[in-house]
Amino acid sequence: MNIVISRGNLLSALQQVIGVVERRQSLPILGNVFLRVSDDQLELRTTDLEIQIGCAVQVQNLAPGSVTAPARKLYDICRGLPEGSEIELQEQEGRLRVKSGRSRYVLATLPAADFPELEQIEGQATFEMPSAVLKSLIVRTQFAMAQQDVRYYLNGLLLEVADKTMRAVATDGHRLAVSEEAVECTSEAGGQYIVPRKTVLEVARLLDVQDATVKLGLAAGQLVMRVNDCTLVSKLVDGSYPEYKRVIPENGDHCAVANREAVKQALTRAAILSNEKFRGVRVGLASGVMKIETQNPDQEEAFEEVSIAYEGEDLTIGFNVTYLLDALNAMNGEEFALEMRGPDASGLIYDEKIPQHKYVVMPMRL
Amino acid sequence: MAPPPACFRYPVHVPIHRLADQLVNQIAAGEVVERPAAVVKELVENSLDAGATRIDVEVVGGGLDAIVVRDDGGGIPQAELALALAAHATSKIATLDELEAVGSLGFRGEALASILAVARFSLASRTAEAAHGWQVGGAGAASGATPEPVAMPCGTKVEVHDLFFNTPARRKFMRQPATERRHVEQRLRCLALARPEVAFGFSSDARRVLEFARAAGTVALEARVNAVCGKEFLTNALAIDEARAGLRLYGWVGLPAFARNQADLQYLFVNGRVVRDKLLGHALRRAYADVLHSTRYPAFVLYLELDPARVDVNVHPAKTEVRFRDAATVHDFMLGAVHGAIRRARPDAEQHRVETFALPARSTGVAGAEDTPRAPPAGGGFSYSAPYRAGLALGRPGAGMGVGDWALADAVRRLEVPADSVPAAAEGDGNYALGRPLAQLLGVYILAENRGGLVLVDAHAAHERVLYERLKRQLAAGAIPSQALLVPESVRLGDDEIERLLAEREKLGRLGFRFDRSGPESILLRGVPPLIAHTDCSALLAELASGSAEGDSRHLFDEALDAQERVLANVACKAAIKANRHLTLAEMDALLRDMERTERSGQCNHGRPTWVQIGMPELDRLFLRGR
Ligand SMILES: Nc1ncnc2c1ncn2[C@@H]1O[C@H](COP(=O)(O)OP(=O)(O)OP(=O)(O)O)[C@@H](O)[C@H]1O
Ligand SMILES: [Mg+2]
Repeated sequence: MNIVISRGNLLSALQQVIGVVERRQSLPILGNVFLRVSDDQLELRTTDLEIQIGCAVQVQNLAPGSVTAPARKLYDICRGLPEGSEIELQEQEGRLRVKSGRSRYVLATLPAADFPELEQIEGQATFEMPSAVLKSLIVRTQFAMAQQDVRYYLNGLLLEVADKTMRAVATDGHRLAVSEEAVECTSEAGGQYIVPRKTVLEVARLLDVQDATVKLGLAAGQLVMRVNDCTLVSKLVDGSYPEYKRVIPENGDHCAVANREAVKQALTRAAILSNEKFRGVRVGLASGVMKIETQNPDQEEAFEEVSIAYEGEDLTIGFNVTYLLDALNAMNGEEFALEMRGPDASGLIYDEKIPQHKYVVMPMRL
Repeated sequence: MAPPPACFRYPVHVPIHRLADQLVNQIAAGEVVERPAAVVKELVENSLDAGATRIDVEVVGGGLDAIVVRDDGGGIPQAELALALAAHATSKIATLDELEAVGSLGFRGEALASILAVARFSLASRTAEAAHGWQVGGAGAASGATPEPVAMPCGTKVEVHDLFFNTPARRKFMRQPATERRHVEQRLRCLALARPEVAFGFSSDARRVLEFARAAGTVALEARVNAVCGKEFLTNALAIDEARAGLRLYGWVGLPAFARNQADLQYLFVNGRVVRDKLLGHALRRAYADVLHSTRYPAFVLYLELDPARVDVNVHPAKTEVRFRDAATVHDFMLGAVHGAIRRARPDAEQHRVETFALPARSTGVAGAEDTPRAPPAGGGFSYSAPYRAGLALGRPGAGMGVGDWALADAVRRLEVPADSVPAAAEGDGNYALGRPLAQLLGVYILAENRGGLVLVDAHAAHERVLYERLKRQLAAGAIPSQALLVPESVRLGDDEIERLLAEREKLGRLGFRFDRSGPESILLRGVPPLIAHTDCSALLAELASGSAEGDSRHLFDEALDAQERVLANVACKAAIKANRHLTLAEMDALLRDMERTERSGQCNHGRPTWVQIGMPELDRLFLRGR
C-alpha cells in the first residue's frame, strides 16, 4: 500500500472514525485503524466490536493494499503536521511509513486480515431524512440518558418508529425527554430500538454536516447509518424499554407559560446556593409569578421571582434544578409551558408551538 | 394413576438397616475432624476443660503421622477410660438445661470417638488419687481390651497416629505436611490467646515451634498477645474494656492505619471459645466501615463474655459458630464499643510524645555507639498514628473557632489573604493538639509545631476526612431529599420483610426511600435518595429488609445510610485539596483546627494516616543530642 493524500483530507477522515477507538482495550488490534486502498479511494475503518465506523476519501494511489496501524498515534501525528501539507503513507515490511516534508515516522502495524468487521444484518427497515432531522431528535433528548445505570437499557436512546414518525426517548428514571419527527420510510416499519449511549454520541458527531441526507437502517439488534461517505454500524441494546408513554402526563391543571431565558437564568443563579449534592430547588406557581427558592446546609438561601402567565391555585414543588435546566437548554423557543399537577406528580415542560418535543421531570421531596 | 414415564425405573429395593457403629463414627468424624488442626483443637479443648495449666502438643508430619497432646489436668479415672472413647459419652453435661447453659468447651461427647474412628489411637490418663496411669487404645474402633497400667505423671496424654489411615478418600484431601503444620500452629495460637492463664508448648517433627509461658493479669495478657500477634499490634491498637447489660467486651482493636491486606490478625473469643461469627463480624466491619478501605482488614483481639445461657454453642459441628439469644443487643453493644474506640482516636499531643514515634531501637543503639552521625533512618523510622488512645478527650475543643469553616470555596477565597496573617486565636498559644503551622513541605505536607515537637500532616488526606465528616453530619441531620421515580419500581419481598419495612416507613422516608405496599408480596418503590439514584435501589431496599431480620431495625437505617456515605466518601476525596496546592498559613491553621474538631481525623477515608508526630526526643536522637 502506498498513497499520497492531503493532510486536511486525511485528518477529517480520521476525525470521523477516531471516536470509536477506546484509549484502553484488551484486544490490541482494536486500537488500530484499518486502511485499504483500491482505485483512488482510501477506506478507513475502526471498531470496538460494538460500533464500527468506516469512511472513504480520495487519494493518489501509488500501490493498492491494506494494513492496520495505531489509530490515535496516526491521528495525533496527522493533526500535528502543518496545515496544507501532503502526506505519504507507505506500507513496507510490516511497518507503516508516514512521510511529510522533512518529517518521517514509522508505525507498527497488524495484519489487515485480522481486523474484525461487523456483519450487516439483512432485512432492515430503512429511512431517509435530512441530517438535521435526526440530529434534532438526538440533541433534544440525549442529555436525559442514564449514565452507568444498573438498568443498562436506560444507558441508551430509544428510537421508536410508527406511522411515518420517528420518536426519540431518553430517561434516567427521574426525568424523560421525548422528541418526534416525521420521516420517510421505505417499508411499513415499526418497532423499538435502543441505541447504546456511545453510539448516540458518535452518530451525533457524524451528523455535524450541513444539508446531507441520512440513510438509517434499523433491524433487530443492529443500526446502520450512512451519511456522505461514512457508514456507522452498531449493535443495539438488547432489552425492553420502560413503558414511557404512561408517564407522560396528559393535560395538567396548572399550566404556566414563561420566558425560557428568564427562567433559565433565575434557575442558574439559584442553583449556586442549592445543596451541591442534591441540587434541590422549590418551584412555586402563583398568580402571574414563578418563585424559585433554595437553601444549602450552610443555611445560605436563594430566592428568585419571574413573571409568568399563570392563573390557578398556588402550588409549590421541589425539583432537581439540573433536570429543569437540562430541559430548558435543549429547547430553542422563546417561551415554554410548564404543567404541574401536585407535589408528588411529574412536571411537564414543552414548547407550545412544537408540542411534539416534551420533557417530563419527576419532583424531589425536599 | 398414570403409569410412570418410560424412562423412569424403580430402584432395586435395598432393605433399611442400622449402620455399624464404626461407620456412624466415621461419618461423624467427617464433620468433627476434617484435618489435623481439628484433631489438635478437640484434644486441647479437652485438656482445657480438664483444668490443665500446661498443655504440650507435638506433631509429626504435620499431624498426619502423629499427634501427641499432654496435659496436667484432672485426668480420667480408670473405670471411665473406656467410656471416654465411646460416642455420645461425656462428663460435661447431663441434661438439656445443662446443655443450654454449657460453660465447658466440649459437650457432645463425640470428639474422642470421632478421632478414634479414623486413626490409631491411645489414651493414657492418671488422676491425682491414682498410683499410676491407665491406658486404652484402638485403631478405627475401641479395642475392647481392658485398660493397662502405665507409668506417667498426673494428667492425660492422647496419641493419634496415622490419621485417616482407614479413610483414604479423606487422606487424599490433605495438603503437604508443612501446610497442615501451619494450620495446627495457627489453631494453637488462637487457643493460646483464648486462655492466657495456661502454658502452651508446640513442637513439630521434634523441633520446638511455640512456647507460651503461663500468664495472669492484664500485663501478662499483653505479653501473650505480643507473643502471638507480634509486638506492633499492641503499639498500634486501641484498648477496649466495656461492660453493659451483662455483656463485657475487652481486648484491642487495631488502628485503621494498621489494617492488613488479609484477615490474618482477627481473633474473637466468646466465653473463651474461638468463634467466627457472622453477626459479630458484621458489627466489626461496620465499626470500621468509614475508616477503612473495603479491601483492607482490621486487626483485633477481642474477648466477649456473657452468661453462657445467653449463647447457644450447639449450632455448628466444629463448634466454631455460636448463636446469641438476643442477637441485636450483642451486635449493637459490640458495634458501639468498637466504633466508640475508633471515633475517640483523635489527636492528642501529650499521648504522642510519651508513647510513640520512637525511633527503632536499632538506630538508637547504633547512634549511641558510634561517633559519626548516621543518616536518619529512611522512611519507616516513625510509626504512624499510634498516638491515638481511646478515651482521651481533646484538650481544647473549639479553640480555633475564630478561623472559620474550611469549605473549599472559603479556602479558595482565603488564598488572597496575605500569607503572614496567622489568626490571632493561635498567636502565642502553643496549646493546640496539632500545634501551629510553620510551612508547607513540597506542596504535600503541612509542618506544624506543638509542645511535643514536630507535627506532619498530609493536607489532602486530612482535608478529605474533614469534608467527609461534615457531609456525613449533613446527611445524618435528616436533610435527605427523595427523588421521585418516573416509573415506580415493584420490589418483591416476603410478607415479614414488607411488614418490617412498613413499620419503619417514616424513618426510611427521612433517608430518602419512599414506598407503598402494592400487594401481598410486593412493595412499590416511588422515591430514592438522589445520591444513590443510579444504583439498584430496589435491590438495596430488599437487602435492607432481609438483612434486618437478624438484628433490630437500627441496622436497617445504618445500611441505608452507609450506602450513601460511601458515595460521600468519594465526593470528599474528589473535593479535597490536591497535592501541590499552595496553602497559606491561615489555611493550614484552619485545617489543623478543623482536624482537632473532627472525629476520626486520624485517618483519611481510605484508612491512611493523616498526621504523625515526631517528638523532640526523636529529633534530638537524630542529632545525637543528649538531653
Ligand atoms: N484431656 C482430658 N482430661 C480429662 N478428661 C478428658 C480429657 N479428654 C477427654 N476427657 C473426658 O472424656 C470425655 C469425652 O471427651 P470428648 O472430647 O469425646 O467429648 P466432650 O469433650 O465431652 O465433648 P465434645 O465432643 O464436644 O468435645 C469428656 O467428657 C471428658 O470427661
Ligand atoms: Mg471434647
